[in-house]
Amino acid sequence: MAGGRVLVTGVSSYLGTEIARALAIDPSIEYVAGLDDRPPRSRLDGVEFIEADIRGGRLGDLLPRAGVDTVIHNKIVRRPGSGMSPRAAHEINVIGTLELVAACERSASVAAIVVRGSAGIYGAEPEAPQFFTEELARLYPLRTGFQRDVGEIENLFGAFARRNREVVCTMLRYQPAIGPSLDTQITRLLSLPAVPTPLGFDPRLQLVHEHDAVAATLAAVRTPVRGAVNVAGPGTIGLTRLLRRAGRAALPVPSPLFDVVTAASGRLGLASVSPDLRRLLRYGRAVDTTRLTDEVGFTPRFSTPDAVEDWARARRGRRLAAVGELLPG
Amino acid sequence: MSPARRERGDRAETAADWARGPTDLPLRPAVTILRGLQGGLARGLAPLEALGGTASGLPREVRAGLEGALRRIEGDFPEDEWGFDEGFADAVLPLLELMYDRWWRVEALGVPHVPAHGRALLVANHAGVLPWDAVMIAVAIMREHPLPRHVRFLVLRWAIDLPWLSTAVRKLGGAVASPYNAVRLLEQDELVAVFPEGPRAIGKDWSERYRLQRFGRGGFVEIALRAGAPIVPVAVVGSEEIYPKLADLRPLAKLLGAPYFPITPTFPALGPLGAVPLPSRWRIEFCEPIETASFGPEAADDRRLVLELAERVRETIQQRLLTGVFERGSAFVRPRGPFRDARRTDCLG
Repeated sequence: MAGGRVLVTGVSSYLGTEIARALAIDPSIEYVAGLDDRPPRSRLDGVEFIEADIRGGRLGDLLPRAGVDTVIHNKIVRRPGSGMSPRAAHEINVIGTLELVAACERSASVAAIVVRGSAGIYGAEPEAPQFFTEELARLYPLRTGFQRDVGEIENLFGAFARRNREVVCTMLRYQPAIGPSLDTQITRLLSLPAVPTPLGFDPRLQLVHEHDAVAATLAAVRTPVRGAVNVAGPGTIGLTRLLRRAGRAALPVPSPLFDVVTAASGRLGLASVSPDLRRLLRYGRAVDTTRLTDEVGFTPRFSTPDAVEDWARARRGRRLAAVGELLPG
Repeated sequence: MSPARRERGDRAETAADWARGPTDLPLRPAVTILRGLQGGLARGLAPLEALGGTASGLPREVRAGLEGALRRIEGDFPEDEWGFDEGFADAVLPLLELMYDRWWRVEALGVPHVPAHGRALLVANHAGVLPWDAVMIAVAIMREHPLPRHVRFLVLRWAIDLPWLSTAVRKLGGAVASPYNAVRLLEQDELVAVFPEGPRAIGKDWSERYRLQRFGRGGFVEIALRAGAPIVPVAVVGSEEIYPKLADLRPLAKLLGAPYFPITPTFPALGPLGAVPLPSRWRIEFCEPIETASFGPEAADDRRLVLELAERVRETIQQRLLTGVFERGSAFVRPRGPFRDARRTDCLG
């Protein structure tokens, strides 16, 4: 890590906030700025919050003015939130990243970029290797809109890294995160009274706990590594086993109807299931994390089954507390 | 038990008498269970927990089985990172053993050639649409090897695309046929079975049975060299008669995304029953291992060596197949002793 002046984009998301907070209390970090187009949900002590759209073109003078040497790019929309069209999400992902890359290109101070990317680039394929290593990214065509976004983001940073050899670009490929504080597509789906699953399929899933998701980015800031690095909790868990351990009921739906049912649940506002997640629930995906442990020097604390266990435990605790409040006395 | 009856029981005899009463009846476990259930519910336990608490009334074997089943319902069973579920594999083994003993009457030869520990690559001929041959190889090693071990096998992509089959394959230790999977499994010191004929094998016509198809480009040898794993050629006789393919409806296969749409005597005429394999007689022969570690991992790029080794494995299997078909004799009916001997001398002479 160079001078310890960091910019975090997408700072108002849960993980963005946690990353910025952890950096702010780190004595070796001199300055932390956070950029987002909406205010963070909780207080950000020691972080200069800049409310701006990443697409707005303000990054160009912001980076040199603040003397930022490390950029953490976290403004990647995995699931369009309420009131956000897929088109807007695509714009933030691609145009936002383009603006950021252009700003870094013009700034002389930037020495390292860490991107919180996605393992979604590998897709979920029946014939896929059971464990993707980093060099297997383009084995299959990019099928969904989000995959194409991630592909474009990786292209932009790949080209930037080739042109600017002195800047270390780390592309962290995250498996979906899970944890008590997270509200993601997967946690919403798992919170349904009955979780729709494709009948006859029991894919291997791999997740990363929210603590490890934050810690992996911090580790990559501390130990910059060139190129892609997979981030996931070790091990895998079958969907059926996951649901049973979490005490959730499965609603198996025959494959041809699965798209219809999940689309309906999205329209009813219960839980939206993106095409990526739909394929994931059928074929599953796991990645190899040797590079993360050996080169970045980070070993996740939670394995995939432990991460599920932790989420389920917290959820049960919350529900018990809610019942307790309802009871008189 | 209704409260009325219990009251009557209390009146007629003391509670202690009642508890001792049914001991000489075979009903005792049932009574203990019901009483335990009632007690559990009275203590405010959830129905499932209360049911779990009654298990002390059962014979030990039943209790162990029940506890195992409850653990599985709670998701408390191990699966390794490949999704291999040893509990599931052990649970279906008796069923597979029945297929092995009664249905196909498998005769396994040379099982000790399979290394008892460490990595090894089993290379076999393949036939039939479902991976029955892989499963029977696994059963042969579980049953007849002095140190039984589980076999991991690689299957075609579209088995992963079919409901239930994909789950069963994964839980039994299967993975999709990909060199990355094979190398990784071998590096974890597993025993891996591959079928280099691939989809060419299941599309074979009845008239081509036991003629080995091309062994790809020798990818399996590259894998073995890279991992330094010995190659054990395996000749499976019998698998080619379980789904005799008479014709192939290409357009329909294309429509369904399957590599073939076979017409067999039972499929699709009998619908799902067509998936029941014919009861041919099997003979699985494990040949002597071919050592590869001494060549070093760099040898994987030596085209000549790879092709030579691939050809050697292919010839070994082809030769053992032809011998095996002769020695087995009739495909479905076990021939009578004298007849069988006479035929064998005829063939050899």
